[in-house]
Amino acid sequence: MNLRFARFLVVALLFLGMTGGAVSAVDMESSRFRIDSANVNSAAGNKSSTNYKLSDTIGQLAAGEFSSTGYVVKAGFQYLHSIIPFRFSISDINVALGTLTPNVPVTASTVLTVYFGAAGQYLVTAIEESPFKTQSGNAIPDTSCNGGGDTCSESLAKVWDSVSAYGFGYGMSGDDIPADFIDATYFRPFPDRTAAESPATVMTSINVGKNRISTLTFKVNISPIQPAGSYQTIINFVATPSF
Amino acid sequence: MIPFVIPSEAKRSRGILKRSLHASRLWRDLVGMTVGVVFLLLTSSVNAQQVSLSISPPILELVIKPGKSIMVAYRVGNLGDPTILTTKILPFEPKDNLGNIRIKKEFDGPVRFGLDNADLQLEQPFFLKTGDSQQLLLRIRLPEGAPEGDYYYTLLAETVPPKSSEGIGSAQARVDIGSNILITVTESGSVEVKPKIALFSTLGGLILDRDLKIYDSFDKIPLTLIVENKGKNMIKPEGEITLKGNFGEEIKYDIIPKNILSMSQRLVEATPSAQFEKPVSLTLSGFFVGLYRLSTKLTFGENSPTVFASTSFLALPFKLIVGLIVVIIITTFVIRKFSTQEDED
Repeated sequence: MNLRFARFLVVALLFLGMTGGAVSAVDMESSRFRIDSANVNSAAGNKSSTNYKLSDTIGQLAAGEFSSTGYVVKAGFQYLHSIIPFRFSISDINVALGTLTPNVPVTASTVLTVYFGAAGQYLVTAIEESPFKTQSGNAIPDTSCNGGGDTCSESLAKVWDSVSAYGFGYGMSGDDIPADFIDATYFRPFPDRTAAESPATVMTSINVGKNRISTLTFKVNISPIQPAGSYQTIINFVATPSF
Repeated sequence: MIPFVIPSEAKRSRGILKRSLHASRLWRDLVGMTVGVVFLLLTSSVNAQQVSLSISPPILELVIKPGKSIMVAYRVGNLGDPTILTTKILPFEPKDNLGNIRIKKEFDGPVRFGLDNADLQLEQPFFLKTGDSQQLLLRIRLPEGAPEGDYYYTLLAETVPPKSSEGIGSAQARVDIGSNILITVTESGSVEVKPKIALFSTLGGLILDRDLKIYDSFDKIPLTLIVENKGKNMIKPEGEITLKGNFGEEIKYDIIPKNILSMSQRLVEATPSAQFEKPVSLTLSGFFVGLYRLSTKLTFGENSPTVFASTSFLALPFKLIVGLIVVIIITTFVIRKFSTQEDED
């Protein structure tokens, strides 16, 4: 009985597979998709002479308006039919990490909120303007997390729960955060502007969402030989909607 | 003067007095606690300095002739604590094919920007109270002879970070909120529209044929449509994705018309679509059986090219079949066992 059913299944698959193959025969194709045709424009096509050859396609945008004023301007996302302000909030822009004690990790959090009505798509990046340091230049290095197999980078969070792993970094939780922040033990170092590093994406979404909220947790752990002093840094958060 | 009272009255009076004293102490403690809590709350709210900024419009698209200039009114709002802001404009480029941007460090390009406000210029600090807003009259000017092409910028409003706390470790935040400006410079009003469908394919599944994938009937089927703009001007796709079944059923999903910047690719989304764990154009969900054909037809405005693409997938109820087989095997086994027992009895 099972053998019969398996035979039926194989025959059905072959039949349907062959049907699919017959339907998909066209001129331009790749292994995953196919372009049936590609150009229907009066100004389009190949143009050539003895001196040049070019292939282009021309469109005209609001020709009447453009010719009378010399410009056409559109504000807001056309598919939303309304101009929705883009809003970005940080609950605390002066995050105190307190008195630092060697081998005692300290954490402090701030909440990031993005509001974009129904438009949704946005990006929030973060970068440290300089390492976490004193005015005299003593710096707490950016974290490598636990090290070894748990060595994190500016673009990859790893576990940082060892009290003997020193440095300064951040973890994320909440909406639209990078997927590598698996839980509260995962951290990354901030990219450093003085080292010409690129800002890291801390929140992003291409989907529609009104109030998108995440929590960014700063973490610092110093070694016993870290010089005393007031350690400071400035983190630059940039929130932009998409285009 | 001590009032004359009989003993029982005196006891009652002492009781009333005690209750009264107890009530007044309770009241005093309550007031004290309330004042303390309010004080603590006020203290903590002063320490936590909140920034909440808004900007409108969030995007500006401009097609303009060289030698022309326009003025656009922006509004920056402050919904957080009082703050000092500065404004600046920097160019950007697409960061990936998802619509994210990378803001460049230095200004470049032929476009000239300035503020027409009487008392404010770009990069000049201004103060915004809580709940207040500032109108920015942005002048965008294209000098004569500016090269044709697209130029992309972000208008940024930036806070000044707070003073650091002495004696303790602390991190201060500088907050920027941006609005993108997409400028197409053209002498004639004509723009170059050179689209190409870079990818139109379902994700996951089992590859059965070169252009056919197989899925379980209960699977969510993610579809990716990536459009490439090979021209020097941005384009905006319009159109739909069509799903046709083997019984003639047909569903259409409208494309969300988002800009594809020049010489870049973008994942084009359709609506309505369920969310998937990674960015996709459309997630098909339901019970699928048989061969399905997905096709898309995109246009890019008046007198512009139309591009097509299609792909197919096959869906069969594998999980259901496996489940049925397991049930049949178990049932057969149980029936045989019972039959054997009955024969033995």
